[in-house]
Amino acid sequence: MSFAELVAASNYSFLRGASHPKHMVGQALALGHAGIGIADRNTVAGVVRAHVALKEKQAEARELFGHDVPFKLIVGSRLVFADGTPDIVVYPRTRCGWGRLTRLLTLGNRRAEKGGCILRFADLLEFAEAMVLIVLPESSFDPDEVDEAKGSRPESEDSSNVVTLEFPDRHPGLVPGPTGQQATVSRLEKQTPAQGRGDGRLERVLGRLSKALPGNVWLGVSMSRGGRDRRTLARLCRIADEARVPVLATCDALYATPEQRPLHDIVTCIRKGETVASAGRLLEANGERHLKPEEEMRRLFRDRPEAIDESRRILSLIAFTLDDLRYEYPHEPVPPGWDPQDWLEHLVWQTALERYGPWVPRKVFDALMEEFWLIRHRKYAYYFLTVHDVVKYARSLDPPILCQGRGSAANSVVCYLLGVTAVDPVQFDLLFSRFVSAERDEPPDIDVDFEHERREEVMQYIYRRYGRHRAGIAATTFHYRARSTVREVGKALGLSEDVTQRLTSTVWGSYASSMEDDRFAMAGYSLENPAMAQLKTIVDQLLEFPRHLSQHVGGFVLTQDRLDETVPIHNAAMDDRTFIEWDKDDIDALGLMKVDVLALGMLTCIRKAFEMMRCHGLGDHELASIPQEDPAIYDMLCEGDSIGVFQVESRAQINMLPRLQPREFYDLAIQVAIVRPGPIEGDMVHPYLKRRKEKRERNIEIKYPAPAPLHGPPDELKEVLHKTFGVPLFQEQAMRLAIVAAKFSSEDANRLRRAMATFRNVGTIGNFEEKMIGGMVRRGYERDFAERCYKQIEGFGSYGFPESHAISFALLVYVSSWLKCHHPAVFCAALLNSQPMGFYAPAQLVRDAREHGVAVRDIDVNASDWDNDLEGGALRLGFRQIDGFKQDWADKLAEARAVGSFTSIEELAARANLPARALRLLADADAFRSIEHDRRSALWEARRTPGDVLPLFAAADARQLGAEADAQLPAMPLSEHVAADYQVTRLSLKGHPMEFLREGFRREGVLSSAEANARKNGARARVAGVVLVRQRPGKGNAIFVTLEDETGIVNVLFWARVFEANRRQIMAARLMEVEGEVQKSEEGVLHIIGARAIDRTAELNRLSEDHVTRPSMAGADVSLTPDYRHDTAPRGSHPRDVRILPKSRDFH
Amino acid sequence: MRIAACCPAAAALGLAPDMMLADARARVPDLIGVAHAPYADHEWLEALADGCGRYTPAVALDPPDGLVLDIAGCTHPFGGERALGVEIEARLARRGILVRWACGETPDAARALSRFQTAAAPDEDAAIRRLPVAALELDDEATTALGRAGLKTVGDLAARPLAMIAARFGGAAVTRIRRILGEEESPLIPRVIAPPMRAERRFAEPVARTDFALEVLGELAGEAMNALAQAGEGGRRFEARFFRSDGQVLRLAIETGQPSRDVKVILRLFRERIDSLADPIDPGFGFDLIRLDVAVAEPLGASQLKLEGGAVAEVEVAVLIDRLSTRLGRGRVRRFVPRDTHIPEQAELLLPAAEAAKPAAWPEPEAGEPPLRPIHLFDPPQPIDHVVSDTPDGPPLRFRWRRTLHEVARMEGPERIAPEWWRRREGANAKGGLTRDYYRIEDVRGRRFWIFRHGLYDEVEQPGWYVHGLFA
Repeated sequence: MSFAELVAASNYSFLRGASHPKHMVGQALALGHAGIGIADRNTVAGVVRAHVALKEKQAEARELFGHDVPFKLIVGSRLVFADGTPDIVVYPRTRCGWGRLTRLLTLGNRRAEKGGCILRFADLLEFAEAMVLIVLPESSFDPDEVDEAKGSRPESEDSSNVVTLEFPDRHPGLVPGPTGQQATVSRLEKQTPAQGRGDGRLERVLGRLSKALPGNVWLGVSMSRGGRDRRTLARLCRIADEARVPVLATCDALYATPEQRPLHDIVTCIRKGETVASAGRLLEANGERHLKPEEEMRRLFRDRPEAIDESRRILSLIAFTLDDLRYEYPHEPVPPGWDPQDWLEHLVWQTALERYGPWVPRKVFDALMEEFWLIRHRKYAYYFLTVHDVVKYARSLDPPILCQGRGSAANSVVCYLLGVTAVDPVQFDLLFSRFVSAERDEPPDIDVDFEHERREEVMQYIYRRYGRHRAGIAATTFHYRARSTVREVGKALGLSEDVTQRLTSTVWGSYASSMEDDRFAMAGYSLENPAMAQLKTIVDQLLEFPRHLSQHVGGFVLTQDRLDETVPIHNAAMDDRTFIEWDKDDIDALGLMKVDVLALGMLTCIRKAFEMMRCHGLGDHELASIPQEDPAIYDMLCEGDSIGVFQVESRAQINMLPRLQPREFYDLAIQVAIVRPGPIEGDMVHPYLKRRKEKRERNIEIKYPAPAPLHGPPDELKEVLHKTFGVPLFQEQAMRLAIVAAKFSSEDANRLRRAMATFRNVGTIGNFEEKMIGGMVRRGYERDFAERCYKQIEGFGSYGFPESHAISFALLVYVSSWLKCHHPAVFCAALLNSQPMGFYAPAQLVRDAREHGVAVRDIDVNASDWDNDLEGGALRLGFRQIDGFKQDWADKLAEARAVGSFTSIEELAARANLPARALRLLADADAFRSIEHDRRSALWEARRTPGDVLPLFAAADARQLGAEADAQLPAMPLSEHVAADYQVTRLSLKGHPMEFLREGFRREGVLSSAEANARKNGARARVAGVVLVRQRPGKGNAIFVTLEDETGIVNVLFWARVFEANRRQIMAARLMEVEGEVQKSEEGVLHIIGARAIDRTAELNRLSEDHVTRPSMAGADVSLTPDYRHDTAPRGSHPRDVRILPKSRDFH
Repeated sequence: MRIAACCPAAAALGLAPDMMLADARARVPDLIGVAHAPYADHEWLEALADGCGRYTPAVALDPPDGLVLDIAGCTHPFGGERALGVEIEARLARRGILVRWACGETPDAARALSRFQTAAAPDEDAAIRRLPVAALELDDEATTALGRAGLKTVGDLAARPLAMIAARFGGAAVTRIRRILGEEESPLIPRVIAPPMRAERRFAEPVARTDFALEVLGELAGEAMNALAQAGEGGRRFEARFFRSDGQVLRLAIETGQPSRDVKVILRLFRERIDSLADPIDPGFGFDLIRLDVAVAEPLGASQLKLEGGAVAEVEVAVLIDRLSTRLGRGRVRRFVPRDTHIPEQAELLLPAAEAAKPAAWPEPEAGEPPLRPIHLFDPPQPIDHVVSDTPDGPPLRFRWRRTLHEVARMEGPERIAPEWWRRREGANAKGGLTRDYYRIEDVRGRRFWIFRHGLYDEVEQPGWYVHGLFA
């Protein structure tokens, strides 16, 4: 075969290409082409995917035929110029050419604001060396596109300048750039194919390029079936011959197979904001832009057969593949004169001596020697040193930024000794070599979490230290998800918003990556309806398409040489940020180094707690210095007392704690990992708990799942599973299982691992199903176990959780539990000062602290600061709890107070010089009690106190306000105070709203939560309370609602059927009464299985008649499930729109 | 998106205005949402205000959903205030409108009572004092602050020195209180009804001559045009009414395709209209009133004449279209409008010329290129047979059409036009039809055809061939 399609776009030509890169490659292989050239519009974002796809195909071929298929992938970019120059597809011939291409693209990207790329012909001439250029006859530039991306509109005068400068001798006159004209003509006129034809532009571009780069320029011609293909071909051949440029046959392919034409039409409509019915000739007249077999191409180009063979010649010219991108680590962290490995070892030995003295323990020594060998062998020294460098910087600040590493390589002795983590891997038998296997030629993985409020400082340090040309943030590819896809496809098909809205409302959360059939039924539509069937077909195809690139939360790529010679760089939406075009998976696939600089709210909280303890003489601590294995902490956790504790504070985790009974550090790692989709979907939780109990209580020997005797030793899995009692819980256990039990080759396992990591993106994991289950069953494992293992892997696919992550997190669980257990006041204050973070609202955190014996004091102008703080062992609430209060008001107030306490509101206003709004907020927060004003009188007074004091009065230190008769305001009842407290500070120390309604509820026979929790299993009960959280986790079979009253909280579970019958009440109620049955588990976890819900919100009005409770008003659908993704900072914001009570936190 | 208003059924489900639509849908998944049209609401309110003209001439709007009627001296025909209120309530209830009403000494009091009163009171003053402070309609912050101060009713406020209130809530709050209490005048601003553009002439003696009547119409048109010019508008629809002394009214209406202020044009259109009538205007015993209404007017800027004289072609065409449409009927005069589609037979539309927007530009044929589309299209395309051609996409080499055999001498193609897959035609395979390959053909005798093969060979086994058009 001698044909290859060299002008092929993937769906990384956003909303133009209609096939994934891997489908393009797959189809070219299936057609038996000699190769393929992937070139997307002004980007190389998709080429890595194509590269990886080809590698996988070759691996499959090797398995089937024993050798690679002769096929060559060349990668480049289709340059679309803003000055009307015809499109030019560029393929670098060498590594150097690649560097020039990426620099050229970077130039265009940086010129436009975020998202655009503005290139001119002159730019190409500057960079075009060591490249193959395929000039296409016409320009596909679309001025709207740049406009949308908010880039500057390409200057038409300027483009004319460029052309005139380029060809001064041949074309002295002014050539109007087509862009200026195009913008003004109507769409109908724009469609006329005259552009780029006959104005001599193509001839000039060819002439100029063939002179500049003789032998490297082609004219690409496609047969579009537009009615005069042969004449066009003849004309273009004439032009090419005159310029002495060979003609290349292409399809200008936008999709792999003809079946994708509808999809292509849809993406065109989405791009143009039209419907298919209205788009008219914005769509292609036919579906010819797919990859075609060679015979077909030969028939189409029978007038010019050599155009087919040129593709082979181009392939042979190109030596570059993405494997040539040799990565070099930045050299900064190593002092001159040192070899990186020596320097690393030097640093490690230094700290090892400090820590252990001259006698380093044998186990540590052995582990270190092994790690050093591996690091030397794989040349990772620079990587460890770079991470160390970043961490060292964060620690060197005053106050230091708290940080902790996690990830496979983070749990090495080297990292422990370098201070990157505080977890001693020797203690937990974490073998570094197990994570970084020798055959995997990939860089190690260390994510470093920093305090969320101060991460930016670290990021700016990295830019400073390595320079913007060498440091860039990785991209995150946003994909089409179920909701966005249905909405946009529905719009393009011309369905009404009501229909799509109804469909998308069946998807809880925006991250669902599939649109199952039953969703249509749920929304009341039948798939037999052709419109719906069509919608579904297209939605299925469009799902998982890349939508746009954005910056990753914190993955930095650092290089020794110019980064823009490896990958193009874009401007990010945020000022001062730049990001590269490749995402995490691409970077992994190419073996570039990435340092993840992530933000973690709990670290902020812990740092603030440590600081507070130092200030108040409660000890000087850091992560590593917390006393280990304190039984009091485990006692606390075993009771499910974990509100505020990192990772284990959610309802599901609280319920799991008493069942798991954590008694040692490693149990915490399991606790963190077990309430995750992987173990849950693999149904591993119950077996694990059972085995654990058996082992603990009766010391029954663990029976490992075993193959048939013929196939191997019965304890072949012991090595893999002994730490978790024979049940796989962690991601790497599942991987080892595939190798040991299903006999995956290490290469297979590697592919499985990659498929797992990118499951959400590409959905390749299904290929492994038969292989894994079949493999295990054939070797005599029980089918049920095999299926569960596979299910678990699928579950991991979305949110994989390896042991090393779990252990790093476990440390934070331990430290935060320690704080909660021994310093509850400090812990609560630090949590409040680090909001927003975590799972609970301030009211619950404060309530929990009070239940643990912490005295909590109200906000007061004579005692509080901005932050919540300790006051002789008690917790004094700070001004930051007041909604809308500003920090500089608090600072001014504290400054003015330094001289002496305030004695009147007017005096405070004058001394602190606060605006009227600040005074009113303080009064409304009831913060004037120390100067004998309750909320009502303070407000009455504050409203007439002018905020800004007139200078004359200030100078005379005189009272500005005259005396006034007593207004004789009625006294404010306590219930109204409580309601007002909730409105202003979202918590009240004076009481709970339910207290005031208790009488009425008791008469009706409604129990308090304390009473309900004391009921026996199976008893009927009615409870009522304020709704804290509504959740619909996982598959949505059950809805969990947490109710709170003055005696505590009670968890209610509604099965989906009951939920549907009571939907309105459950979704609407702020104050809910539930009738149901008490269900108590063995460990004493209590749920009320709701049979009926009653919306009692109206009762809240009785707290204060003047505040009419309106329906809750914050947005629904906060997130699909509690955030499983470990690589993001805590999300979700606090509802500011407060009526009488803060809105519940709903996770749909 | 928030809920702007909801029907009683929705309210019964616990939905209420100002709720997020997403929240509402979470509660009631099969909710039907209709986009809020404040403008339409306003028009509706205006229409109700018009209707209330039957009770009193002084009706003021209280948008978005209130009307204030000054019924001083208007109540006796209905039997008193209360009876009047009941009558309004009943009348509007017949149209499905729920009315809350109240009477008050001042417009502010009536307004507050109708909107905020919750329980009956012995007299108006007591009722007003019982109103919640929300009835003052201060901003949210002030209303909350009054509540926090424990002042919950208008009476609570009125009982305290107003200086105290002024110091805290400003003079505007005090004005509000005084107005509601009736201590301060608040003028009612009756609705200003934009008078329709109208000109009329009454005659002492009935006019019996049609010619003279038309002359008067011309004068009236002149007056109306002046008024239009002042408003910067032009009329699109004119209605003339001739009131005969015997009580009969003759009505004539004309429309123009573009807004116009040209008296001559209007008059000519009226004449055309009269000429086209079966029975021209019969004055009978004479007209005693002639009236000209401009029923529809649209903005029209001043037009500029050409310096070199002569008419603007566009205007001329528009005038011609108006004349023809008036004479022949709107539907009879049509013009071709290009449509943006690849399907040849749908590429143009015939629309009533008076309605068609400014004609869009037709795609320009390329200079030096033969035309892509024929000058004549057959509808439906005409089948041909005995076609000899190459697979898969060769042109016909020979074919028979209308019993004549044609030998192809030259050809170009194919131009491939794929079906519009999103149109689901019954019967055809689900892709919305078959792909067509079009060829431009010249036979040995020099005749040029536009021929297509209906279907690719991998779509159907035996694709049919058709002549779709003829080139000149």
